Parts: sequence; C-alpha cells; structure tokens
Amino acid sequence: MVVSVGAVPQSSTSTRPGVDVLRCEGLTRRFGDRVAVDGVSFSIGAGETYGLLGPNGAGKTTTIKMICGLLRANAGLIEVAGTRLDGHDVRVHARIGYVPQDLALYPDLTARENLAFFGRLYRLRGRLLKERTDEVLALVELSDRADERVESFSGGMQRRLNIGAALLHRPSLLVLDEPTAGVDPQSRHAILTSIEQFGASGMAILYTTHYMEEADRICNRVGIMDRGHLIAQGSRRELVAFVAEHDRVELTATGDREAFRDACLGIDGISAATLDGESLHLLAENGRKLLPAVLEAADRVGVAINSVEVVEPDLEAVFLHLTGTALRD
Amino acid sequence: MSLAWTIARKDLRQRLRDRSAIVLGFVAPLVIAGLMSFAFQGTEHFHFNLLVVDQDHGPVGAALMRGLSAAPIRDVLTVRSSTTDAAAAAVHARHAGAALVIPPNFSREAENGDSVSLRVLTSVDQELDGQVAQSIASSFAAQINADRLSVETALHSGAPAATTGTLVAKAEQLRLPEQVATESIGKHPLTAISYYAPGMAIFFVLFAVGFGSRSFFTERREGTLDRMTAAPISPIAILAGKALSVFVFATLSLATMAVVSSAVFGASWGPTPEAALICIAMALSVVSLTALVITLAHTERQAESMASIFVFGLALLGGNFVFVSAAPPVMRRLALLTPNGWALRGFTDLATSSGAGAAIEPIVAILGITLVLGAVAASLARRTVVQ
Repeated sequence: MVVSVGAVPQSSTSTRPGVDVLRCEGLTRRFGDRVAVDGVSFSIGAGETYGLLGPNGAGKTTTIKMICGLLRANAGLIEVAGTRLDGHDVRVHARIGYVPQDLALYPDLTARENLAFFGRLYRLRGRLLKERTDEVLALVELSDRADERVESFSGGMQRRLNIGAALLHRPSLLVLDEPTAGVDPQSRHAILTSIEQFGASGMAILYTTHYMEEADRICNRVGIMDRGHLIAQGSRRELVAFVAEHDRVELTATGDREAFRDACLGIDGISAATLDGESLHLLAENGRKLLPAVLEAADRVGVAINSVEVVEPDLEAVFLHLTGTALRD
Repeated sequence: MSLAWTIARKDLRQRLRDRSAIVLGFVAPLVIAGLMSFAFQGTEHFHFNLLVVDQDHGPVGAALMRGLSAAPIRDVLTVRSSTTDAAAAAVHARHAGAALVIPPNFSREAENGDSVSLRVLTSVDQELDGQVAQSIASSFAAQINADRLSVETALHSGAPAATTGTLVAKAEQLRLPEQVATESIGKHPLTAISYYAPGMAIFFVLFAVGFGSRSFFTERREGTLDRMTAAPISPIAILAGKALSVFVFATLSLATMAVVSSAVFGASWGPTPEAALICIAMALSVVSLTALVITLAHTERQAESMASIFVFGLALLGGNFVFVSAAPPVMRRLALLTPNGWALRGFTDLATSSGAGAAIEPIVAILGITLVLGAVAASLARRTVVQ
C-alpha cells in the first residue's frame, strides 16, 4: 500500500491512461516465498523523468526488469505506449531503451561495433543504422574513439556508451538502472545533463538511484521504494512538503552510538533515528531547537560529538520519516 | 533468422579475436595431428629384419630360406643369415626384430621322425616382430609335420621304402590346402594421419562446447544478455543465434582441418560430400552439447567444469586418442554412444572406401544422439533466458 503524501494522487488514480508512456498497475514479483515487488503502481508521461528511489534491495531493479521484459511479473499490468507487455509479443520492446546497471557492452568490440550490434537487434539496417550510430557516438562524445575497442575506454566513457546503446532506436521510454554507479563526479554531471536533455526532448524516463541528490536534480516525480513497496510518490516539492516541519540532523560521534541513538529517540520531537557507520541521522521537528537536548543526551551516555549538521527537509528526510531508516543503510 | 544471424555474427567476430579460440579451433588440432602422424608414420606398413641361423645346413633349412624369400612374406621381412651369438646380440640391440634358429641335424632328425624344434629369439621391446617370427616358425613346423605325415601315409599304404627320398621331395612341393586370407572391407588401408586428423579435429572441436557455454554465462554476468532480451527479439532467437555461432565455428574448424590435413599431411577424409555431411552432423551435436551444458550449469565456472568433463569423457570414449579397434569390446560399444565415436567411424570408413553408404549409419547415429541431447536441453531450457 502506498502512503498518502499530501495531495499527490496515488495508486491506480496516479495513472493517466491515454497519455502515459508507461503504466504499471499492481506489479508483483515473488522469488519463492520472498515478495521482491509488491503491488507497485505508477505511471510516466512523455517528457517526464520519474525517479525510483530506494536503498539496495528495495525492489527497484526487479521493477525495472519486469518493465523491460527481463523478468515476468507474477501479477499486475505493464503498458508501454498503450501496448500491454505480456511476454509473448516482443515488438513493444522496440519502444523501450534499457540502460542496465552493469556496463553491458562487449569490451573486445569497438564502440561502433557495439552500437551497430545493438542497433541491429532493434532492426536498424544499412544507412539508417550508420546514421544513428554516428549520431549516438557524437551524443556520447566518442566519435573520435569510435573504432577503438571498448576495453581501452575509461569508466566514464564506457558509462556514456552504455547509455548511448539504448538510444539508437529512439525509444519512447528510457529506463536507466543506476547509470551513474561508480562514476567520477565529472562524468556523473555529464550523464545527468544528457538525461535532462532526453527528458526535454519528450522522452519518458524511468530512473533508479539511491543517490537522493540525483533524483532531486533530474526527476519531475519520485517514487520511494522500500522492501518491495512503493511507499510514496509525487514531485519533490510534494514529498518534501510532507515532512516540511522536519529537519534532518546529521551527527558524527564516538562512543556508544547505539545508546546515543536510543537516548535521542526518547527526546520529544525526534521521530526517527538511524545509525550509518559513525553517523547518526535524526529526523526532528525544528532540529535547531532540539540540539541542546541532543547534546545533553550525548553527554549522558558518554558519547563525544564530532560534528553536527542540520539539513533542511529533503528526500532523504522523507525516506527517514517513512521508513525510520536512512536511504543508504 | 536475421536477428539470430546478427547474434551469431557478433559471437563469431568475438571468437575470431580470441587467440585461445583460434589456437584450440584451428592451430592445435593441426599441430597435434601432424605430430601423431609423424609418431605413427610407417606403422601401417609393417616390416622388420629377421635373422636366420642355419646350424643344420640341410634341406629343411634351405626350404625355410626359400619360403621366407617368397611372396607375400618377403614384403614384410628382410631376411639375413647370421650366427647364434650375432643374432642374439642383434635382437638385443634392436637391430633385428627376431631370429629363427635351425638347430644342427634338424633335417636328419625330422626325416627320421624324431622330435625336433625351431628356436625363435625375440625381444620384449619388439613384441610384434617376435609374434610374427613365432607365427612363421609355427607355420613352417606345421608344413614339415604335414610333409612327414604325407610320407608316412604313403609308406604305410605300400609305397616301397626305396622311394622315400622321392616321396619327401614330392611332399616338400605340397602346401597346406587350407589358408587364412585376410581381406579388408575397405579398398584402401587406413593410414595413421587419416585416423588422427579427424580424431584431433573432432577432439578440439568439442572445446567449442566450453566456449559456447562460457560465452552465454559471460553475457549473463556482464548484462549484455539482459540487454539483448530487452530488445524486440524472442528468447528463442537469442538461443538460436548462440547455437548458430557454435555451429558455424565447429563446422569451420572441422572443414579447415580436413582441407589442411589433406593438403599438407595427405590425410584422407573420404569423398567430400559425405565427409561434409559428417562434419555438419558433428557440428550439430556440438551445438546440442553446448545447449545441454548451458541448461545444466548455473554459473560460468560450472559451465567450464562441465564442458571439460564432456570434452575429455567423450574423447576418451569415442576413441579420439587411441584406435578404437585396439580397445576392449566394452570400449568399442561405448564409443557408439558418443557422437564423436560415430563421426570417427564414419571418417575411417570413408577413408578406406568402404562403400557408398558408409556415411549413412554414422550420420543417422550422430543426428539421433544430437536430437536426444537437444530434447533434454530443451526440456530444461524453459527459464534459461527470461526468468
């Protein structure tokens, strides 16, 4: 069940038949007794970038794999550009561009050979294939390295080509599964800029990440997943408004941090506290006002505070509020 | 089909850029077959030196020397006279394969009906030469016994004792009427290279099972299989593409081996159309074996181990390393449970020109095994691509 967030329409009412490029209804996938994705519903319109945000194991990749036809759903419905994805008719896959989390490229082939191969799988041939290949090579800024083997590329170049391979057939829906994982800041910026451009060109984008700041930057709407459930969705503003009165307080401390966390949870006005290594994340109503009480609790349990930061409400705070855990736990 | 070919073409391009695949598919079988051919060179034309020590100097010794220099035995032997000590030393030093010693008074004692024996000097290192020499001695002794029996029979039937000399002379002209004649079904003898060239080609082509299955699991690990599955292409077409690449690689490897071993080493693979059909059937069986490994294994490492077991197990059972004809009957029967065993049988039958239909039975057998393996793989393959 999806938690109601402000005025954001939820579940089945969140879909817009007829205009949605992607519509998922009650998507469910089980692995044995474990339910990896449980009744997930959302939709994405043309030109919209939808971020699926959640920690590792939340069910983001499983959801994406069902949408891309890599896993069969046990229940639910997926429609891409009005065509139901049923596992038998693969033609609808031509509307989807899939960027897997891994660098799904052939290192012993050149950039051009990789693109040509994936282009042919989408039935591009002859001059059209060459044009699209050149176009994508230019887009990912690899024209001058087109005939070099991918194994000689840097990580960032490979990431860019990994995305480019999903664009050859000009899909209506671009699905990106954590495309910036392990990428340096400069390449990450370039990738995010490209994705913003794709969205602006009218492409519907489904983007998974556990980097809140990425979702903050490029997504029009965000769905927050935890333990297989879509627990909230809406625009950034709508989601943050839900925890508008709450600040996120980030502390680093040495000593018995678990006792410190428990002591913090006893402070009136702190609704969640979670440990992440040396850091303690608190969700507090008016964090600045509560700081003296927090410091007093630290003193009481013999913990030394090394740093304190009060962060304005953001998606991380939303996640903390909804799940009681930090996004990167 | 064009999408399957797209995948196959990509796989082949990768394969041809992989040096280990080139070595295993093309270079190694040629080198190993060449070495084996060199090692077994001449074994198909048996010949050895036989020393004869004639201490008798009588008519029997002369008769033996005459027999040894007559056709067809002279093609197998080079006969030289020697002394006992020199013959023993020569056999020991492997300068001669064996020696026959005709003891003193052999002719006289044989004519008198006394018990006499020929001695054969052999060496454990030249067992076959010794066996042939022993066989010659036994055959010669049987002829002498037959002569003696003829003379005794004539004398007991009333021939005058004075004619014994004449009877002996006439008996010596007689030969045992019953002879064993060995005739091969094939028109040509099987040379070592004609056995080992296809033997090694088939052995190394079985390594394509490992390449094919590993390639599948590598694609799964690296996400490229997911990327293919996300494209508008059916899982069947993906598997067909993978199978096609294995088939083309295996066929090319066998064909290259056939052409080069024939041109360079003089191997005979039989008539081209029949040999080509056996190659194709064998390549199909490699495809079904690859499919079986893919469906049985769960990881790249499992696939690699399983493929190695298949390759060496099949090669040992099928007779790729040793002549199946020299193996025990159980092994010969087991060889017929393997596609490579049947393929080898087909190629050897074709090489010896055993008849127009020589390839039919092996091809049918290989295709039968292929179908069985393929059916098992298909029954397990339901969830191989999309889970």
